[in-house]
Amino acid sequence: MRRALLGALGIALFLALWEAIGRLGLAGISWPPLSSVLTMLTDESRRPLFQRALLATLESTGWGYAWGTSAGLGLATLAHLVPLLRRGSDRLAAVMNSVPSIALGPIFLVLLSRESTPAAVSSIHVFFIVFVAVSSGLQRASDAHRDLFSVLGADRLKRFRRLELPAALPALASGLRLAWPAALIGAIIGEWFGAPRGIGILIINAMQNFQIVLLWCAVLLAVAASLLFYGLLTLLERAAYARFGS
Amino acid sequence: MKRPFLLRLVEDYWGILLLLIAWQLWVVVSRFNPIVMPTPVAVLGDLVRHPDIYLRNVGITLAIAVFGLVAGMLVGTGLAIAAWFSPVASGLLNPLTVLFSSVPVVALIPVIARILGYDTSTVLAIVVIITFFPSFVFASSGLRAPPPGSEDLFRVLGASRLSLLWRLALPAAMPNLAVAFKLAAAHAILAAMVAEFLMGTTGLGYLFAKTKSDFQTEQAFGVSIVATVISAAAYLGAGWVERRVRDRYA
Repeated sequence: MRRALLGALGIALFLALWEAIGRLGLAGISWPPLSSVLTMLTDESRRPLFQRALLATLESTGWGYAWGTSAGLGLATLAHLVPLLRRGSDRLAAVMNSVPSIALGPIFLVLLSRESTPAAVSSIHVFFIVFVAVSSGLQRASDAHRDLFSVLGADRLKRFRRLELPAALPALASGLRLAWPAALIGAIIGEWFGAPRGIGILIINAMQNFQIVLLWCAVLLAVAASLLFYGLLTLLERAAYARFGS
Repeated sequence: MKRPFLLRLVEDYWGILLLLIAWQLWVVVSRFNPIVMPTPVAVLGDLVRHPDIYLRNVGITLAIAVFGLVAGMLVGTGLAIAAWFSPVASGLLNPLTVLFSSVPVVALIPVIARILGYDTSTVLAIVVIITFFPSFVFASSGLRAPPPGSEDLFRVLGASRLSLLWRLALPAAMPNLAVAFKLAAAHAILAAMVAEFLMGTTGLGYLFAKTKSDFQTEQAFGVSIVATVISAAAYLGAGWVERRVRDRYA
């Protein structure tokens, strides 16, 4: 109770500080008060603009999330079942994760299209996090359980489906939670390479045209989109640990 | 038994080799203009021809990433220690840091750039801010989770708050700090490059933006490959540090 109160007080103080710095102009004209950002954000006439941008970014992020999760899960499973491929897939994932996102943009621009570049960049971010989480999760089943399965005559695939995959679900859920902000970042960066609309476009345009309040609005939208789904995925993670955690 | 070199190469790097071969074949078969998409061989050629341009910008970006990483981790750990001394402060800061650690940090770069101005010191500040969050979050949780019972033992033996910090809480937080280091090291280079890409005047990110808009595509890809190698090395190196620290303190 005391913790929750202190936490709420902390957030309130932060917001008040933000407002005060903006009102007093302590950080120059680039730091508007929170109230003017919120006013613009809730302005009726701007709603279509924000709605279009947010929906476009969420759609790209969603596709990237789905593709990245499938690829990460797929490669981790393959590497788990075929140990010969394990070291190579570890390195492939590490290198793909190391390609700077701004360099991925132009590649996908040629490979795919302007519209699908955000989702593609986003999927690479998600792929790595899910791959790492699932790889470590698949090794979480205890040796005793593994031995029991072998003694009872379960083959490799049955052991995977009945033992190792369920044991990896909590790790997968953690990966999914951590992957969401990364997916959003990927989509926003991907949008910088000529996407027709989205939060990333809004951010870049506002930054280049010195529309300070609009810039903060776009950033707040991105933060809200991140936090909302991050919160939901945290609940999913808790459920996975409660049901499948050891 | 030592495996033959070639076999080891294929086993460890089959994914990357496949990727490179697919890239080469794809460009040759689709007959792309090199301005649109160069082959990996052509990119390698540019790397060999202009080592000075690459080296200079690698130096700048690396220096910013390393300075920013060290400063960000120091500030993050310092604040975590301050919060450890004061339960009120940590209660106030806790939900905020959870909030901030789930924020898409790249989205904040344009805002920070607007506030601090468009130059190299801003790139540095961005790296500091971005590496600060994981260090603070991980250091805080590490400081507050010493082995069960050990804190009571220290109190019974009359240890001061300071020696409790120095001899118990900080060593207990080391593995967590190592994880933060691994996360922040990867972030540091990415953040430096994105910041340079958006508003820098030097460094790998800027070189990438400039060569891309000048249609020097081979060099732009060269920058990408160099950056990839550096971040992969940073990731592996940080992973090695993390394992060493875990072995020593956990």
